[in-house]
Amino acid sequence: MAFSTILGAWIAAFLTLGILSYLYRDNPFYKIAEHVFVGVSAAYWAATFYWTQIYPNLFGRLFPKDGPLAFIAEVDFNHEFNVLYFFPLLLGVMMLLSIFKQFNWMARWGIAYTVGIAAGLKTYGYLSSNVLSQISASAVDIFSGSLPFFNMSGDSVFNNIVILVGTISALMYFYFSREQTGSYGKFTRLGIYFLMISFGASFGFAVMGRISLLIGRFNDLILFSSPDYNYGTFWMMLFVVVILGFWSFQNPEKKEG
Amino acid sequence: MKFLEDMILKFGSVDRRFIFLLIGLAVFIPLLRPIDLPIRTTPTTEKVYNAIDAIPANSKVLMSFDYGPSTKPEIHPMTLGVMRQLLRKDHQIYITCLWPDGLYMALDALEEINKEFELVEYEDYVLLGFRPGNEAIVKGLASDLRKVYTVDSKGTMLADIPMMDGVNNLKDFQFIFTGSAGYPGTFEWVQYGGDPTGVPLSSGTTSIQVNEVMPYVQSGQVRGILAGMPGAAEYEKLIGTPGIAIKGMAAQSFAHLVIVFFIVLGNLAYFITERRERKY
Repeated sequence: MAFSTILGAWIAAFLTLGILSYLYRDNPFYKIAEHVFVGVSAAYWAATFYWTQIYPNLFGRLFPKDGPLAFIAEVDFNHEFNVLYFFPLLLGVMMLLSIFKQFNWMARWGIAYTVGIAAGLKTYGYLSSNVLSQISASAVDIFSGSLPFFNMSGDSVFNNIVILVGTISALMYFYFSREQTGSYGKFTRLGIYFLMISFGASFGFAVMGRISLLIGRFNDLILFSSPDYNYGTFWMMLFVVVILGFWSFQNPEKKEG
Repeated sequence: MKFLEDMILKFGSVDRRFIFLLIGLAVFIPLLRPIDLPIRTTPTTEKVYNAIDAIPANSKVLMSFDYGPSTKPEIHPMTLGVMRQLLRKDHQIYITCLWPDGLYMALDALEEINKEFELVEYEDYVLLGFRPGNEAIVKGLASDLRKVYTVDSKGTMLADIPMMDGVNNLKDFQFIFTGSAGYPGTFEWVQYGGDPTGVPLSSGTTSIQVNEVMPYVQSGQVRGILAGMPGAAEYEKLIGTPGIAIKGMAAQSFAHLVIVFFIVLGNLAYFITERRERKY
């Protein structure tokens, strides 16, 4: 196996153990892993954005081969010169100028443009797919003749009634123009129960997701503990545990209160 | 009875690090010594399988890798499974990425799949790669793919790739599948890809997104969903190729048992404490 692959595995094992060491308590290994993650992520995103978007799509259209500005630079991605692309370049530069106090007002123009575009895009998507399509999907034929009365997983009369009652009671809970007392209050309380069941399901799924990620990390640690990787996990674990033990001895945990 | 209550209270106030250790062991031991647990497929997973199975042979399918290394354990087995099912019917796969690290996930998946299928680039698949822009990219693909992608991930002009002939927007695909770990992902594909174009769309998501995506499945906007690692395991069972998701299910189940045990214990301790405080 290549040296670079083994080195990468050792670093991965060290960083994984560094992050997991937080479960014991906040410590220098966790801080190292955290800072490396933040720094590498920021650099990776910056480089990726520049080389996949700004360079080919912006400079590629401002400085194309045979374009009027080709004497400054040539960025050949088969695009034609498009003067409109000076506008996003200008807005981008204005956003960067926010680091200077006297020019930080300029950043607002770029932000305003971005917010406007995003709001327009989102409104259309949400209205069509979330509001209209979901209302349409909720308007079911409850007592459709072909449906069984009860089915655990598919369409059924019972499930349709649950959808109807759940949707209306949960919506009514957020109607605040009437005091939620009496039979109306009981109905809106039913809405809270539906919401709580939904939150419970979300919590369960969240736990399941976290365990899946832990399985992923453990799978990698097991892989890196093999002779192919020169027992990287074992050596890194020994290193982390010994140093962490020494550090804990030097910095005893302060009791609360 | 008092002894039992005292024991519950003692366990209820156990150091959190003891719980972490138990969960760690519950996950670690089944991974070291795999245990076969029965896997029952759910209708949502079957919907995905059936929707992909119903695509006419030799179709063009767009797969979007919208996840990174952090969610690889959940999503990667799904994308591998879907690729296997697609290639068995000689579909052509067009790969896009809304996440920058999705490109490396796609490369990793192609390397893995290449061991079984001897893939030929630009005949079996084309890796278009990552473009930043989130939902704007999906909207761009729906209207004019060639404005978003001039070159593929290797820098080859799309005009020079025979597989790209006649592919100009999302309507030129027979199916869309997104392996999604969050934003941008399934929601953006539904709102700006599947719904406006009418191209059938399925998704594999992280567990945490399932509750939010499920209304789209109920309404038919998404053809089934692979829900987290269990969804991936069910899919591996359906395509008959066991992989890392099935191997991880025992660990997943044991960890859940430990968590449920401590939730029950914590609640019992709470009610016992409340009753005792009321008494005195």
